Amino acid sequence: MRIAYYPGCVAQESGRELDLATRWVAKALGIELVEFPNFSCCGSGFVDEANLTLNVAINARNLGIAERAGLDVLTVCSTCQGMLTLANHRLGDPAMRARVDPALAKIGVPYRGTVKVKHLLQVLTSDIGLDAVKARVRRPLAGLKVGAFYGCHLLRPGAEAGFDSPEEPHAFEDLLSAIGAEPVMYRGRVMCCGFPILFVKPETANRIAGRQIADAKDHGAHAMATPCPLCHISLDSFQNKAEAAVGRGLDMPVFHLPQLVALAFGATPDDIGLPRHLVPTGPALARIAPSAGTSPSA
Amino acid sequence: MAVAKTLEAPIEVYRFEPGKDAKPRYDRYTLTVEPHTPVLTALLRIRTELDPSLTLRYSCRSSICGSCAMQINSKSRLACQTPIGPEIEKHGRLVVEPMRNQPVLRDLVVDQASFWRHYDRIEPHLKLDPRHPMPEGKPNPMTPEEVARFYETPRCIACAACYSACPAVEADVDFPGPMALAKLYRFVVDPRDQAHQDRLVRIQTDGLWLCLRCHLCTEACPKDVRPSERIRDLKELAIAAQGGTEPGSRHAIGFKENIRERGQLQEMKLVRQSDGVGGMLAQAPQGLRLWRKKPEIAKKPRAIEDLDQLEALYRELDAPPKDGT
Repeated sequence: MRIAYYPGCVAQESGRELDLATRWVAKALGIELVEFPNFSCCGSGFVDEANLTLNVAINARNLGIAERAGLDVLTVCSTCQGMLTLANHRLGDPAMRARVDPALAKIGVPYRGTVKVKHLLQVLTSDIGLDAVKARVRRPLAGLKVGAFYGCHLLRPGAEAGFDSPEEPHAFEDLLSAIGAEPVMYRGRVMCCGFPILFVKPETANRIAGRQIADAKDHGAHAMATPCPLCHISLDSFQNKAEAAVGRGLDMPVFHLPQLVALAFGATPDDIGLPRHLVPTGPALARIAPSAGTSPSA
Repeated sequence: MAVAKTLEAPIEVYRFEPGKDAKPRYDRYTLTVEPHTPVLTALLRIRTELDPSLTLRYSCRSSICGSCAMQINSKSRLACQTPIGPEIEKHGRLVVEPMRNQPVLRDLVVDQASFWRHYDRIEPHLKLDPRHPMPEGKPNPMTPEEVARFYETPRCIACAACYSACPAVEADVDFPGPMALAKLYRFVVDPRDQAHQDRLVRIQTDGLWLCLRCHLCTEACPKDVRPSERIRDLKELAIAAQGGTEPGSRHAIGFKENIRERGQLQEMKLVRQSDGVGGMLAQAPQGLRLWRKKPEIAKKPRAIEDLDQLEALYRELDAPPKDGT
């Protein structure tokens, strides 16, 4: 399959390990990632609050670029997924169209509204299919209990996101089962990670992250996994702060979704940037068989 | 008419009487019900037929009074509006608990004082300009377009399902909650209300920016008020009225200006834009910790191609929005 790859800012910057793992998995499954160096940031929910119309226009431009190439869009971030999808929906409002279309016409990037935006989780579970994923597994993650952490904007608002159940999803757990891991069910898996207010009221944001991590841990998770690099910042990069906020040690390794898939496909920790994590992933890796180190095309 | 097949529903109900019980327990009942039977009907049958001590709030049974919000299989729902069948089908059981984020008085009844206190604080009534009193005996007219700006919010029945579902309420007593903010929006955009600028100024420091935009309130709302969307609207109006006076609004504006420069987020620069130089210094130890593993945070990302297109969109569309007055 060919798809326009929308990595989002974080996967190209502090979350580069997510980009590494995505490319590894795409290569292993024969997904051709078409790159567009003219894609811009999605606004991350913040521009949406500062200026809704501008944010719709920014994302309509991104979608217009993909539309011109005749491609759907692949995201690897719950927030990018949410912002691009919301733009698609908000353009259904004629008043919004009337404001955005002339601006898009001026820059020569019209958008008719035909592009589908799909998160990697959706591509793996629906387009590629769990059977094909399972068939590519070289090292099942048996013995590893994983708490999936969805990231709000992949799921909600449900009427617009149109992906899985907005409060009781199962796609991520299905994927974890397909790669041999044991999914852990806990309330926090569909909750917020605190990221949107990390710069507004850090102690509250850290407490929210800490509660979700503690919830996963109390339900027996050895590790967590997320399809959103912003959640990863809250849960991994700021886990030390989250621990302080909830007053207990957590020591919870947090994987990006494609990192776990790549591990099951035979990737080594270095292939997918695991040494870049703030919380060591070693204790989780020790629970699964070591990789002999295979290439994605093996 | 086809007769619905009945099912044996295992129902676990949270029971707790503070001051008397050492800790909460879950009582298990089994009822034969039809799949479309509302959870409330089942609870009332339990109370009538099996256990008269079960305590719950309810009144109209028609999704109008807003009394019977509770946690049903961990989701905030009206018990009268939630059929049992799909819950049993999905989870194999039905767990009924009191609303979250409010202390339990007994069993399924919670103390809603904090919910109402936040509601009172937003002053949920029209503040008409005394210089322009309502014409004697005549309604104060609004155009259909003006009414359309807030036609969802009057549907709110103040059931507190959103308050129960909200992780910001759970984590921070300063957050007013989705319902209070959605109601505030209704008065801010009401053309008859003369206090909307004051309301916007006040809410900026009264918790508006603690909303996480997780949209759990919008999923929980039984009346499709979509509180999270109304809170987004309020944030944009507050920025238009006042600019970046608070950490939240500064961050939103800072982010918007940040990506304008290169089309991509400049992570380190955002901290300075949101927190100022003092904030940057406060974040320095954490920043250093991150930088050791992720040195990219200190580097400028490459600018996107066709950056001029993005700039043109900003110039075209980033005039400050009006607040509808």
